[in-house]
Amino acid sequence: MRKVLAIVRRELIAYFSSPLAYMVMTAFLLMQGYIFYLIVSFLNQPGTQAMTPLRLFFGGTIFFWLFLLFVVPVITMRLIAEELRSGTLEPLLTAPVTEGQVIAGKFLAALGFYVILWLPTIVYVLILKSHSAIDLGPVAAGYLGILLLGFLFLGVGTFASTLTNNQLIAAILAFAATVALFSVGLLEQLVVSSSFFKSALSYMNLWTQMDDFARGIVDTRHIVYQLSVGLLFLYLATKSLEWKKGR
Amino acid sequence: MIEVEHLSKTFVDTPVVDDLSFFVPEGQVLGFLGPNGAGKTTTMRMITAFLRPTRGRVVVAGIDLDSDPVGLRRQVGYLPENVPLYPEMRVDEYLRFRADIEDVPRPQVRENMEYVIERCMLADVRRQVIGTLSKGYRQRVGLAGALVHRPPVLILDEPTVGLDPNQIIKVRELIAELGRDHTVVLSTHILPEVEQVCERVLIIDHGAIVADGTPADLQTRLVGNPALRVELSGTNGQAQEALAALPGVLQVTPAGADLYRIEHQADTDPRESVFHLAVERGWVLTELVAERASLEDVFVRLTTRDAAAPADRPTAPEPVAEEV
Repeated sequence: MRKVLAIVRRELIAYFSSPLAYMVMTAFLLMQGYIFYLIVSFLNQPGTQAMTPLRLFFGGTIFFWLFLLFVVPVITMRLIAEELRSGTLEPLLTAPVTEGQVIAGKFLAALGFYVILWLPTIVYVLILKSHSAIDLGPVAAGYLGILLLGFLFLGVGTFASTLTNNQLIAAILAFAATVALFSVGLLEQLVVSSSFFKSALSYMNLWTQMDDFARGIVDTRHIVYQLSVGLLFLYLATKSLEWKKGR
Repeated sequence: MIEVEHLSKTFVDTPVVDDLSFFVPEGQVLGFLGPNGAGKTTTMRMITAFLRPTRGRVVVAGIDLDSDPVGLRRQVGYLPENVPLYPEMRVDEYLRFRADIEDVPRPQVRENMEYVIERCMLADVRRQVIGTLSKGYRQRVGLAGALVHRPPVLILDEPTVGLDPNQIIKVRELIAELGRDHTVVLSTHILPEVEQVCERVLIIDHGAIVADGTPADLQTRLVGNPALRVELSGTNGQAQEALAALPGVLQVTPAGADLYRIEHQADTDPRESVFHLAVERGWVLTELVAERASLEDVFVRLTTRDAAAPADRPTAPEPVAEEV
């Protein structure tokens, strides 16, 4: 555990010593602020159906997904690819550290950075709270949904980063894989008949899962799906790392 | 301290290390020599438990690679080729990170860090970002990182590559000093380095051992005894006999008018006594040169491949003459 934490700390030092982290954070906050403004002003127009603004904020708009799909590869691309490129994997894996501990440390650091990225959005909740009574239950569920999505996508990104020593390729692979995971659930709409196929796709529909969380519905099936797929990719990342260094 | 038995590593279908066996006793500084692609790095990566051998056994400090690879890593400090470091970290942050992942007991972390900072002379850069350091400093940071868990065995892969001559001298001094209380395996293709730092040389090529012995040993066995060329005038024909009587001299052969070739034992250097002899007898010493048929020749002789060999191999140099 101490070794995993040491890797997490090192990774966070690496994030915050590169300008990329600050660019991502700035862009992220600008984007989220703008979305928040759009949502609030849209809902302020008379005649719009009653809907809580935070429900739109948590995955209710395509902006949320677009940005998430862009940001995750940027967070994960460096993790292993850079170690492979610079050769630092060698001193790392000749220390008494297992591949699993390396992946765990790297992934938790990415998740930590992702959480830090979202933390300032709590201000929006506070702003809304000061103007109207809002139910904090769905808000908490929304944040849980965001954390789970992060777990899933960052797991995929970590795996992508073990496949190449080129950060750009790692980012593109992560982007392609997360987009595929996101889109596969959306195909649900195209299947007309209520077959097994449709329900399988619906089980994988991340958009509706996120919407459930934003409405305050914490469904164990969603949690199991996102955690298990995330863990599967982390396992693959460990295997890929073992294989990679053996060549 | 390090036992390697029938070690082999095959990548796809190419054997890189082929049935290698050797033993390094505690406290020895072993020079690991070979042309590029001979299998040095692969062998080191197996001794450090980075790679899994295809066949064979590695035991370091009594720990078998096969049964406890993670435990074996604790016994070994490894500095890979080109010294990979994290450029964005500060020196002390890096050493602390290394101490944590190397399982240094918590109460000892501070102490070990201070020890390696002092030993590798890093006190004046400890708060600097590694990316801003010169190559010589980075080399020392790498060494400090490999030492921070105080391992009994140090494996260094080409530790002086890319340094300027002053930095090379400093790093070599440091390695020689570390050799006093560590078992060291050092790979290089810089031959003077081996002659200066190592007690024993292992030359490998095509993944197999082609020579094993002390630097002086290999030299005599494979090149013949070292020799001096001396030019003395006004000797009235007494020189050959008098030179032959000097300590360590094996044979004196005339090599022209007033010119003599003196073969001597590898562990002695009779140049001083030749000078004193000349002064004593009142002879005029006009030339005194050591014909250095060095390890370089041994190396080239042992590792030169047939005509199909790639062109990047160094061509056989002339014996280096060292002026006195």
